[in-house]
Amino acid sequence: MSRFLILLGSVILFSCVESLEQERESSSPTLILPEISRTLRVTDFPQPERNPLTEEGVILGKKLFFDPKLSANGKVSCATCHQPEIAFTDGEALGDFGVSGNPLKRHSPPLFNLAWNTTGLFWDGGANDLESLNFGPLTHKDEMAADLDDIVAYLSQDKDYPQLFEAAFGKIPIQSAYISRAISQYSRTLISQDSKYDQWKKEEVDLTSIELQGYSIYLNNCASCHQEGLFTDLSFHNNGLDLDYPNPPELEGLYQGRYRISYNPKDMGAYKTPSLRNIMITAPYMHDGRFQTIEEVLNHYESGIQVNASLAPSLQNGIKLSTEDRQALISFLNTLTDEKFISKHAIQN
Amino acid sequence: MKLFNYTVLALVIGFSSCNNDDEIPEMMTTAIQFENTLNGKDLVLNSSTFTLPSGEAFTPKKFKYYISNVALINSKTGIEYLEPDSYHLINSETNIGIDLGMIPSSNYDQIRFSIGVDAEANAKTDQTGDLDPNSDMAWSWNSGYKFVLLEGEFVHAQTKERTGLVLHIGRNQNYKTITQPISGIQAGKPAIITLTTKVDELFLNPNALKVSELPSTTIMGGELADRIGENYAEGFVSIK
Repeated sequence: MSRFLILLGSVILFSCVESLEQERESSSPTLILPEISRTLRVTDFPQPERNPLTEEGVILGKKLFFDPKLSANGKVSCATCHQPEIAFTDGEALGDFGVSGNPLKRHSPPLFNLAWNTTGLFWDGGANDLESLNFGPLTHKDEMAADLDDIVAYLSQDKDYPQLFEAAFGKIPIQSAYISRAISQYSRTLISQDSKYDQWKKEEVDLTSIELQGYSIYLNNCASCHQEGLFTDLSFHNNGLDLDYPNPPELEGLYQGRYRISYNPKDMGAYKTPSLRNIMITAPYMHDGRFQTIEEVLNHYESGIQVNASLAPSLQNGIKLSTEDRQALISFLNTLTDEKFISKHAIQN
Repeated sequence: MKLFNYTVLALVIGFSSCNNDDEIPEMMTTAIQFENTLNGKDLVLNSSTFTLPSGEAFTPKKFKYYISNVALINSKTGIEYLEPDSYHLINSETNIGIDLGMIPSSNYDQIRFSIGVDAEANAKTDQTGDLDPNSDMAWSWNSGYKFVLLEGEFVHAQTKERTGLVLHIGRNQNYKTITQPISGIQAGKPAIITLTTKVDELFLNPNALKVSELPSTTIMGGELADRIGENYAEGFVSIK
């Protein structure tokens, strides 16, 4: 008899648990994992445990990314300085599209393959993850100049956002953390892996002989820092742009590069190696956009390097290329432009 | 009158003997309050009546700091109450207390807390509650929190000009844990622990700082910030 009761009890208990789980499933967001091309040469899709990619989170994040109402004057969105049609950069050396109209002190970087930027984001790697980074551009007076409490108030009173937040994160009040998490999720879906180079590596197309020649010039001269796959070593190097680094206290070490984060003298004037993917559509170049063309970049590596105490050892003697080799290298760099990525993320409407 | 005294005494004895047996409530309400001071007086923002330890007239404008991982300890029994999710922004304008709520009863005789936030909480800023980055205490260009923030104006000893003083002290090496003895806490009875925070101590022991002689009075990192971190490790927040 007592056994029967226990059995009955556990059956009832079981069915309760099951229905609870079903309920949870139906209301919880759908986890997704993007498809990753082997040509990126990565083994997994890194993301913080607290903010895994979900369908609902990405939808919300995309809406936030393109919403100028997040800014103090209602006119500046993330996409103002990260335009999809030029691989999410803005084409300016130091953009002045922010709320204050003042030019920025850093060049707006293109956005793609961010999930693998696990060594720190921003040119100096100061942001540990996208979730922490987003508060920078959202609140900086020369960017979106937002008050986070104002954003929360706007989103909470909007007709669409509360539902989208609930779908992505459950029934909780909208808070700054979740705004940033959604934007981070969308940003991690920006994956550039369909260039001609990728198709070639997958043996779907051939490279021309000049492109192939450029590929070997790349391997011999550029690949140690711009490592094949992501086309960056995700590390920080001083590439001989400057001899000294002014340090006005109010800029908190801005001109010192990675040193302002690590306080390691070897990092003085060092910045993160940018990816060469989409390089031909993301001019100007360097952390401050000082070089307008790829020719200027190659000139710098050939004869413009300022030898200084923290210079990357591999750049001591510069990189000298014949005119012909330069042309070949540029032909190869053109194969890294990812039209599919551009059209996939172009603003539809 | 005498009768009254005896009655009170009898009542007290009766009451405490009850307590000594088994009627100590399992839980007790506990709160911590902070008194922010400078020159031994209550700190008042935007008031020009203060001086820095190095002698300069000083007007404080903002003063905030994080107190985290608060624990109460009964050193005799080894009982330790550790507040869960313990991050508190003490703001001289709005929040000068920590309400621990109902905690397990014990004759706590030590308090432990940290100034700043621990390395794990300091590694990201998409957080809620007192760690919500809406409080002006999160760094966006260098992920993490300002642990102690003091801003104000002082009269420079040489130039006699009003000069900005900005201290934003953070980074993991400046996370400091402090243990202090406390007295008078009785198991089962509501407890209020008062801590005094002395702004003076940021400029004193072990590293005496004369603000008029500093190369820059905007201190947001580097060696000077770490020296201030050493200063607030002792004497900055202590039992009244």
